[in-house]
Amino acid sequence: MAPPKNAKPAPGGRAITAFFKASPNSSQTSQPCSQSSALEPNKRGMLGASQSKTSIAQASTSKMQDVIMVDDSDGEPPIQQVTKPRQSALLSSSEDESPQKKVVATAPSRSAAHGSTNSKPKPRASLPAKMEPDSEERPRVQKRKKPSAPILSSEDEVARKLSPPKKKAAVINGSSSKPKARASLPAKSRAVDDDDFEMVSSDEDAPIISKTKSKASARKELVDDDSEPAQKAKVKPRASVQKTVKRKVEDDESKVIGKGKTETQEEKKPNWAAMKAAKARGPVAPGSKTVPDGEDNCLLGLSFVFTGEMSSFSRDEAIDIAKRFGGRVVGQPSSKTNYVVLGEDAGPSKLKAIEKHGLKTLNEDQFLNLIATRKGSGKALDEKTKKKMEKEQDAIKAAAKEMEKIEKKAMEEADSGAGSSKAVDPSTQLWTTRYAPKSMKDICGNKSAVEKLELWLKDWPQSYKANFKKPGKNGMNMYRAVLISGSPGIGKTTSAHLCAKLAGYTPIELNASDTRSKKLVENGMNINNKSLDSFITGGGSASNSVGSMITDRTCLIMDEVDGMSAGDRGGVGALNALIKKSKIPIICIANDRQAQKLKPLISTTFSLPFSKPQASMIRSRILSIAYREKMKIPANVIDQLIAGAQSDIRQVLNILSTVKLQSDSLTFDEGKELSKMNEKYTIMSPFDLTSKILGPYLFSHTARETLGDKMELYFQDHSFVPLFIQENYLRTEPAKIRNEQGPEKELKRLMLMDQAASSISDGDLVDGMIHGPEQHWSLMPLHAVCSTIRPASFIYGTGAHYGGPNSMSFPQWLGQNSKQNKLSRQLSDVQVRMRLKVSGDKNEIRQSYIPALHPHVVRPLVEEGSSAVDEIIHRMDEYYLSKEDWDTIVELGVGEQKDELVLKKVSAATKTAFTRKYNSSEHPIPFHKATDLGKAPKKLAAEQVPDLEEAFDFDEIVEDASDDEKNDQDAEDIKHDRLIQTSKKKGATVKGKAKK
Amino acid sequence: MSLWVDQYRPRSLEDLHYHHELSTRLRSLASLASSGDFPHMLFYGPSGAGKKTRITCTLKKLFGPGVEKLKIDQRVFLSPSRRKLEVNIVQSNFHIEITPSEAGNYDRVVIQELLKEIAQTQQVDLNAKQRFKVVIINEADSLSRDAQAALRRTMEKFMSNMRIILCANSTSRLIAPIKSRCLLMRVAAPNAEDMQAVMQHVSKRVGFDLPPDVASKIIDDSSGNLRKAILCLEALKMQSPDLSGVLTIAKPDWETYCHKVADLIISEQSPARIMEVRQKFYELLSHCIPPATILKTVADRVVERVDDAIKADVMHWAAVYEVRMRIGSKKIYHLEAWVVKVMSLYKHFFYGMDLTEFD
Repeated sequence: MAPPKNAKPAPGGRAITAFFKASPNSSQTSQPCSQSSALEPNKRGMLGASQSKTSIAQASTSKMQDVIMVDDSDGEPPIQQVTKPRQSALLSSSEDESPQKKVVATAPSRSAAHGSTNSKPKPRASLPAKMEPDSEERPRVQKRKKPSAPILSSEDEVARKLSPPKKKAAVINGSSSKPKARASLPAKSRAVDDDDFEMVSSDEDAPIISKTKSKASARKELVDDDSEPAQKAKVKPRASVQKTVKRKVEDDESKVIGKGKTETQEEKKPNWAAMKAAKARGPVAPGSKTVPDGEDNCLLGLSFVFTGEMSSFSRDEAIDIAKRFGGRVVGQPSSKTNYVVLGEDAGPSKLKAIEKHGLKTLNEDQFLNLIATRKGSGKALDEKTKKKMEKEQDAIKAAAKEMEKIEKKAMEEADSGAGSSKAVDPSTQLWTTRYAPKSMKDICGNKSAVEKLELWLKDWPQSYKANFKKPGKNGMNMYRAVLISGSPGIGKTTSAHLCAKLAGYTPIELNASDTRSKKLVENGMNINNKSLDSFITGGGSASNSVGSMITDRTCLIMDEVDGMSAGDRGGVGALNALIKKSKIPIICIANDRQAQKLKPLISTTFSLPFSKPQASMIRSRILSIAYREKMKIPANVIDQLIAGAQSDIRQVLNILSTVKLQSDSLTFDEGKELSKMNEKYTIMSPFDLTSKILGPYLFSHTARETLGDKMELYFQDHSFVPLFIQENYLRTEPAKIRNEQGPEKELKRLMLMDQAASSISDGDLVDGMIHGPEQHWSLMPLHAVCSTIRPASFIYGTGAHYGGPNSMSFPQWLGQNSKQNKLSRQLSDVQVRMRLKVSGDKNEIRQSYIPALHPHVVRPLVEEGSSAVDEIIHRMDEYYLSKEDWDTIVELGVGEQKDELVLKKVSAATKTAFTRKYNSSEHPIPFHKATDLGKAPKKLAAEQVPDLEEAFDFDEIVEDASDDEKNDQDAEDIKHDRLIQTSKKKGATVKGKAKK
Repeated sequence: MSLWVDQYRPRSLEDLHYHHELSTRLRSLASLASSGDFPHMLFYGPSGAGKKTRITCTLKKLFGPGVEKLKIDQRVFLSPSRRKLEVNIVQSNFHIEITPSEAGNYDRVVIQELLKEIAQTQQVDLNAKQRFKVVIINEADSLSRDAQAALRRTMEKFMSNMRIILCANSTSRLIAPIKSRCLLMRVAAPNAEDMQAVMQHVSKRVGFDLPPDVASKIIDDSSGNLRKAILCLEALKMQSPDLSGVLTIAKPDWETYCHKVADLIISEQSPARIMEVRQKFYELLSHCIPPATILKTVADRVVERVDDAIKADVMHWAAVYEVRMRIGSKKIYHLEAWVVKVMSLYKHFFYGMDLTEFD
């Protein structure tokens, strides 16, 4: 028996190891409880919760010792009884959808356990070995019984509180209740120490089996357990541990394979069997399923399609799992697909495809089972695939060898040739330079673009002779320059240099590190240098500011043209001028061809867009580099790195060279972490963001996004996202009411929408505080939650917005708001004019006067036509209203009086008559707008020309009117003005007519 | 010719038809003014009650007919962010009238610059009856807090040169210091008899007989807004010149539209319908109908049509969201939230569900 003092709270793993050493095997079963609870949180990084938990756990261990002492003497049958219901409860509970239910479900099992243990007498006896598998279970049961229970049950509470992310809950439960797996499989758990929860939690199932199994196996386990702590204590330096452990595992596994599905096998490789056991016991348990430790590459050569939502993994996780084990995941099922993994709500089109191709389908469990059972490392592959893979391997090796050869050659050349300092040891070079493509076939992807570039460079002298009149094969020979565009790291600069060299040109590169102002580009390039300079320096060729010689075989590479910024004023313009008369080919390189800055170049350069190469194009190259560097990196890891870097070859190389500093291998999960760390910050469009936020996955129970992740989406575009959410939140089919029917569904839907709407309303209040006079910008996160995340959490689900390209609408608010501002401005104009007669404010004008004026100034036009014009104009003059104000009044109508409806009813003839009549007469003007006095007439004429048939007549009228106004003012000025205006106006009129 | 409401507006304190007590007080204040004892004033009351009319009448009493010679000017102010703000100023020789809320958030700038400028110069016209000038501030209740604060000191400091007359719908949004510096003048909405008298007066001036039942019908409809009543009378007269038979009072376009929205809410409760309603709200808002008015009109109509049991709830939520609307910036969000709430309430009630969740 372990003395309680050993379990005294002490920080960190030291206490645990001490505990290990001190404890004899009988108490050992209880250790892992504390151990796992101490380790697990650290692993998962949920430190906040873990601190308290660990201490509680440690404190509790002392209690548990007592418990064990008392309890281990129980007879076996009751224990069996205890564990069974508990186990099934665990399973069934985890199957429930909501965490609350889970608690409820586990509770009865506990009480059942209570009952059974309570009823037992407790004679003291030494521990029989066969009790072993259950002993760790009992403390839990006992906990509830003992008076000292509060501490322990509170620990459970903690666990349960943490449970909403169900997976975690499961892990915690599992690890705290069945920690033996950890002890029995320390090797494995060590090996995957940095893994995420799947690997860790895989241990959880072990005890289940062990319990269900015969005593023999239990005994065997005991033996295992005995040996384990010692082993664990021994293996401290981690690197060595990993290796030894791995070897051990491999050995075990090979044995297992040999034996087949015997009981012993189940013990060594218990996970999938656990799954089976679980299945036999009852329905599968969503939210708590774990990924079995399949063999490496056990899915190699298989291609999967995932469809629908699985019960315990999110789609991304499932894809990850498949990839981890070497499987290939494709988007759409085809005849080549090996398996389709079906989840809930599988897409109908995919189901059809399955039927069409007769594909094999798997459900989640079968999928996991496949991983657990399939033999790894290509053993299960057919000959063809095997050969293919071998071939690939050979190709990689060959490529690596060639690389080495070339490097050596280069070294030799450098040594022998120059003898100067030029020889650089390749090992000191950056990988990106060292493994830069040396020949055309080394370039990954964009083959056609590179070929085009090469051809163009080759043809350049001929094109020059032909004065760029012959389009050539690709139509490229009309241009003196090309503009290569594409995202970073896909080999633009490399290709340009390589092509130039291969075509026999000497490339001169100017990039953002050089100043490229107008002056420099014009003078510095010296491309047409005819100065004496070249005679003095001799040798017929000129040198430019960059210091290299300019010959007719020179090629200018302007790198990073879109980086020509403030310091390079006029640089792009000068470059463009240069391109127009250049006698050498110019290659411009930019990231974004659409950039405003590059507008001038669009017409003068041939656009050569480079796209991101597919992962498959880069893979082999990276693999051969890795081979060359003697790194062991599986292909699926490379794939992941490439995907993570978004096909940025440079970044992948940089990552690998960093990794190389520490170790020679890279596992899937390390790779995942690396690529996550180096993740590029991609900016999604508000449309994408909205469909992600409102979509069915972000809030589904399998989603792993934290609140922070969700808020991150808002912060990608914090001004637009809330607007989009508000615009589109009603378009979803909320996932929360998927299972409801009839009126309840409608009621629930309205409730959800109500909650969402009021949250959006809250969001607006917060927005008011942020953008109001006090500018509480620190409330932004609150705004994110209120305006975006909370509403979405209610009404998320599939819907018209999901997937389709134009199913989501752009926020109307923007348009409507600017319309409101415009009309409001016009209304204040009307109000100001009417002010001399009317006392009401703007709102009164809109709400009372405009409806009252409508029958006087608008309706007569509809009903009586042009005969009413005089009367209307009279009425308008009474209120100092101008023609524009009349338009405003019409425009302000809603419903029956909507401007479109009204204007439709007024005949064109009447309108013209009205306009002409109005313009031909004089009107009282309450005041002049300050801005009107300067330049107004010209603008007016220009605006109104296209509206009217008799533009010419009309113009004259305007002129008359403006003359009248201006006569009062300085005579000379008017004359001057008038001259200018008439000439201009005529021009405008002619233009207007020509357009018609 | 002008509309009747403008044509037959009383021009002097003696002509006013109702609130005679108030008129007397104003008269005595104005006559005392030459001794320099004229306070700042705050006129408040619902629209269409006659605030402006009383202000002009008082001004006329103070300065004589010169105040009726109005001119409009446009002044340009620069906001702190160098944006140009155009503010229209209506003025006579003796007074000036501004609506600072035209400048939106920058009303403080207008108050500070314009008022100081006016306040620091003395009355130039030697023939003026009073030494001081009068500044009328319209829509004083929509002045921002900053602007109101800016007004405080000015009101005391430049008392010798200037008097301020504020004109507001309610005093609730004016800060206490302002209220305490002013003489409060409540212009209540006229009661039915007063309105009846005014309308009879107008019809006499126009030259026709107004049947009292028609008048009372109009009065019922205009809820104390005399401007609305007279405009309505004119429209009715235009519609059927003899004012006999069954008369239907034509509602303004926006009101009919609001009622339509209310009917939409009652007739169906679904996401599609909410979007339809949203569209209609946008239409109303963009056509310069104030959101509070929209909410009030729609809510009134909805309440008319729903069962008694949920009337209180509908109004309660309308009140809640009106407050939020005033605090917030995007009015449509709150309007829509109210609509969804009402729809949900209505539907729940319809199916006889428990409504306690809505508290």
